[in-house]
Amino acid sequence: MDINKLFRSEIHLKIIKFFHENQASIDTPRGVATWVGEERSKVKNALEDLVKAGILAAHRATSTTGYSYTNDDKLISKVRKLLKTGKSA
Amino acid sequence: MDEKKNNIQYHKELFDKLGRSASLKKEEECVGCLINPASWWTIEKPNPKPADLKKLISCTCPHYKSASINRDTDCLKIIFKVIQKARETKILTKFTCVHSLHGFIYPIVQGGALYGYIGSCYKKRDVSPQVLDIFAAFTDTIVREIQKELELSKLYETIRPRAIALSTVHTVHRLISSTLDLTELIPRIARLSLQIMRANRCSIKLVDSKRKILLPKATVDLRKKNVMLKKVKVGRHAPGKAFKYGRPIRGRDYLAVPLIDEDTIGVITVYDKIDRKPFSQFDQEIISTLAEQAVIAIKNAQLYKEQERITMGSIKSLAKVLDTRAPGTYVPRASFLKIALLIGQEMHLDADNVKSLEYAAILHDAGEIVVPYELLTKPSKLTGKEYEIVKSHPMAGVELIKHLKALKSVTPIILYHHENYDGTGYPKGLKKEQIPIGARIMAVVSAFEAMITKRPYRTVRKISDAIEEIKKNSGTQFDPKVVSVFLRVIGRKDVQQALEKELYGHK
Repeated sequence: MDINKLFRSEIHLKIIKFFHENQASIDTPRGVATWVGEERSKVKNALEDLVKAGILAAHRATSTTGYSYTNDDKLISKVRKLLKTGKSA
Repeated sequence: MDEKKNNIQYHKELFDKLGRSASLKKEEECVGCLINPASWWTIEKPNPKPADLKKLISCTCPHYKSASINRDTDCLKIIFKVIQKARETKILTKFTCVHSLHGFIYPIVQGGALYGYIGSCYKKRDVSPQVLDIFAAFTDTIVREIQKELELSKLYETIRPRAIALSTVHTVHRLISSTLDLTELIPRIARLSLQIMRANRCSIKLVDSKRKILLPKATVDLRKKNVMLKKVKVGRHAPGKAFKYGRPIRGRDYLAVPLIDEDTIGVITVYDKIDRKPFSQFDQEIISTLAEQAVIAIKNAQLYKEQERITMGSIKSLAKVLDTRAPGTYVPRASFLKIALLIGQEMHLDADNVKSLEYAAILHDAGEIVVPYELLTKPSKLTGKEYEIVKSHPMAGVELIKHLKALKSVTPIILYHHENYDGTGYPKGLKKEQIPIGARIMAVVSAFEAMITKRPYRTVRKISDAIEEIKKNSGTQFDPKVVSVFLRVIGRKDVQQALEKELYGHK
């Protein structure tokens, strides 16, 4: 999944921003939808896209899935730069 | 120190907002119309020094350009004196300069604290008290609104991270409460701890109270693929101390919290934050909350495991009793349990159904206790009446275990494991998907077991012959899907080795 492309989508960008600013957070699609102010079903799909791109990690259990930010330093730096420039590279 | 910093920040934000306030600009325009012409300025310090005043006031009055704080007659000196007066009285104070121009200083006061001043001068006429009253009342309202706005935003900034943290704790609770399997649960707790602490390493140790030692149960390290699992003596290092004293032990690069329920059962320790910052009090509070949840989940899983052990023990004892009638027939064989489990897993049965399959693999023929020994061992063909007695054994098996609630899910497997896929079996003549999946799996496994192990009524067959027999009856006696999975499982090297070891005593 192309990270630059994800940065061009408003909902993906909102979720990336949320996790970048709250790196210790683990939340369900419902929770993330509340924090970013978007519809749960759209957030759920976007979360899976971000897992595929490696920006988020999914903690899957029978009743729900928790999503958290990557621990990859290089990827975090890349996200930081992209958020700072406010545009995709 | 923090409070002082916060006050400075608050002060700055207040004046930033005041400077950008559209309401204040409108008010200055309106009042300006009444007292025209006028010059407006703000002083962002409650206690400005005389030397700073020229920098702080930007006045459009032509006399102001050459004004000096050192000359008593200059307006700057006059303004400074009025500021001092307004600071003391905290009310709007008027003045007239040497050029007979009028002005006033309005102190910005909220909650008893003085933040600065709004000033106006260069007015040719004196300003009426009514206009000044209106100005003071409006300005006061504007300042109060800005203060409310700032307080709300401060509250949002304080509450939002806590609300996010609370939501995280809630999510973690859901994630760790969703499994009762300790081998899955403890590494999951370690990974989640690592994530919420943004740490590089997490280790969970549980106590072996007899040996006064903490045994490592899971260690996750983001920097290493393989990690050493180290035991720690109670009282030694951060985990040992956290366990001994029953409280968190925090250092710059480590944070150990005890897992306490009624007693202390272990310790979670996190090491080395990813951003290299020290572990904070907030980190300690969050991981302590997680530890409180983790200990409940671990205790539940331990109790569940203990209950499973008791159930399995009871089943094995029952099998042992049954086996005394026909030695070697009912004793559980690990290789057949393994085959049943693997088929269940490959067919994506959930954990509870796989467990039921394991129990059923031992108990499926327990009902044969009602069948006379002579019938079970009769080498010749059974009479119709005798066959009816044999056919009653699945129901008898169900009767035998029906009072054991833990085995409720096993009953359909026991009851229907002699049903044939084509509907020619017993007790009900069910066909295809009418037969529960567990029973269809057990039909294959029990037939395979009966063919290759010692039975009083038949000679032992070779494994390859038994497999051929199963294949031959696929679609009639057995579900073809189950047979297909069975063939894959039986083809595995580890399964073949386990079978040969158990049946013939070699690998």
